[in-house]
Amino acid sequence: MSIANGPVLMFRLLVLASGLLPALWLAWRWGQDDLGVVPEEAVVHLTGRTGLVLLLATIAFSPAFRLTGWVGIMIARRQMGLWAFAWLCAHALAWMGLEQYWAWEWIWHDMRDLPYVRYGVVGFVLLVPLALTSFRRVRQAMGERAWHWLHRLVYVSAALAATHLWILTRADYRLPMLVVAVVAALILFRLVDAALHRR
Amino acid sequence: MARYRYPVIAESEVTPRELFRQRRRFIQGGAALGAAALAPGLLLPSSAYAWQESLADRLEGDLPSRGFAGGETLTPRKDATAYNNFYELGVRKSDPEVYAHKLITDPWSLTIDGEVGKPGTLALEEVLKRETLEERIYRLRCVEAWSMVIPWVGFPLADLLKRHAPTSRARYVHFESIHDPENLRGQKSSILDWPYREALRIDEAMHPLTLLAVGMYGEVMPNQNGAPIRLVVPWKYGFKSIKAVVRITLTEERPVSAWMEQNPEEYGFYANVNPEVDHPRWSQARERRIGKRGKRETLMFNGYAEEVAELYAGMDLNEHF
Repeated sequence: MSIANGPVLMFRLLVLASGLLPALWLAWRWGQDDLGVVPEEAVVHLTGRTGLVLLLATIAFSPAFRLTGWVGIMIARRQMGLWAFAWLCAHALAWMGLEQYWAWEWIWHDMRDLPYVRYGVVGFVLLVPLALTSFRRVRQAMGERAWHWLHRLVYVSAALAATHLWILTRADYRLPMLVVAVVAALILFRLVDAALHRR
Repeated sequence: MARYRYPVIAESEVTPRELFRQRRRFIQGGAALGAAALAPGLLLPSSAYAWQESLADRLEGDLPSRGFAGGETLTPRKDATAYNNFYELGVRKSDPEVYAHKLITDPWSLTIDGEVGKPGTLALEEVLKRETLEERIYRLRCVEAWSMVIPWVGFPLADLLKRHAPTSRARYVHFESIHDPENLRGQKSSILDWPYREALRIDEAMHPLTLLAVGMYGEVMPNQNGAPIRLVVPWKYGFKSIKAVVRITLTEERPVSAWMEQNPEEYGFYANVNPEVDHPRWSQARERRIGKRGKRETLMFNGYAEEVAELYAGMDLNEHF
């Protein structure tokens, strides 16, 4: 992976920026007390949205590679996936700390009783083994075939995330509709691609 | 979470409201004179600012004030005017404040019709002239599990209804909001079937706690909070307290509200605050008090059980949610 040519390096820096800049922006606005009347709520929403966007971007790396054939995309994919995971970790922590204020009985109650929380939790938990097996050595130990099978879970996770967002939306469905459309398109591409290039 | 930015302006530096208002009237007068000098035909009719001016004057006097929130701390005015659900002005909490100027409230008239002996359409100033204003401090609990404590200024809805002599067939009161898709950005999309509509049973409408509010925090109602005249029913979820009311119709049949139409599974006719009956998608057991950390337990009928529980005696509140 040490192909340190210019375009690849630039692309990796771009991925770094997409993971880091939202965090700087959020921290800056928190410092400026510019997160609205309920900053806790804003943090929960912003971490969730950023995590979801980065997760969808990670999935989109694969079709982007199929279409362009540029290897730099695949080199940066793990990095993007880990950024998405980091943001979704932040989202889970923000929900527990800033929405539930660490009231464990309520955290447990809502995970058990509220469908949107359940979908979110399952979608998040599915990402944990993917993050843990994202390192080269683990991947090699697993074997490519098993690794690819396992990492298809990312599609399940994205679908659950879209459902999570859909359920908690109250009136304006533009954003969840967009997310559902993107997830559907990514899954469709994967299926068509697999059918055309049966390996 | 409120963090104040320094320097804080000393109390002594604040322009007294009376002075500020005189200044404003002087400037407005000057502007009107200027306009008249340039184009006499354009002189505004004298009633153009009638209700706002006369209401502001009345709010400067000493109004009787009563607390109905158990002495709980008032929500800071800056929070109550910046975190609103008023979909006509946009769906984000911050939208209503940003687009507040798009709600045209002058002139304003109110129609009272249906099952009443004396129907009519009145200019808002005529309506206000007849009523005795008072301040009432109420809790406000939104169906989204957040709450505020707000000092409203208004008058009991019952006072207004009685003047129009409801007939014996009047069993429900239907309210309708402004419909102005040209100015109100939310009404350009079909998130709800516009205009916004709400309804109460006649005994709920006549209950002494039910208010028509025209101000808050001792001032004329800000647009984002439902100017110029809005309903306040403190024991029901906030969406029942319809904003910017233009029409009140007494009916024999139970009306269907805008939210019931949009999602009958989730929004019932009564919408009484009830910690034991959850919204299908989230819990109603607790709420976030805006401006405070943490969550608090939601009270039955939002803490007004003593006053209103008898209205629902014998009813299954799980079914009539």
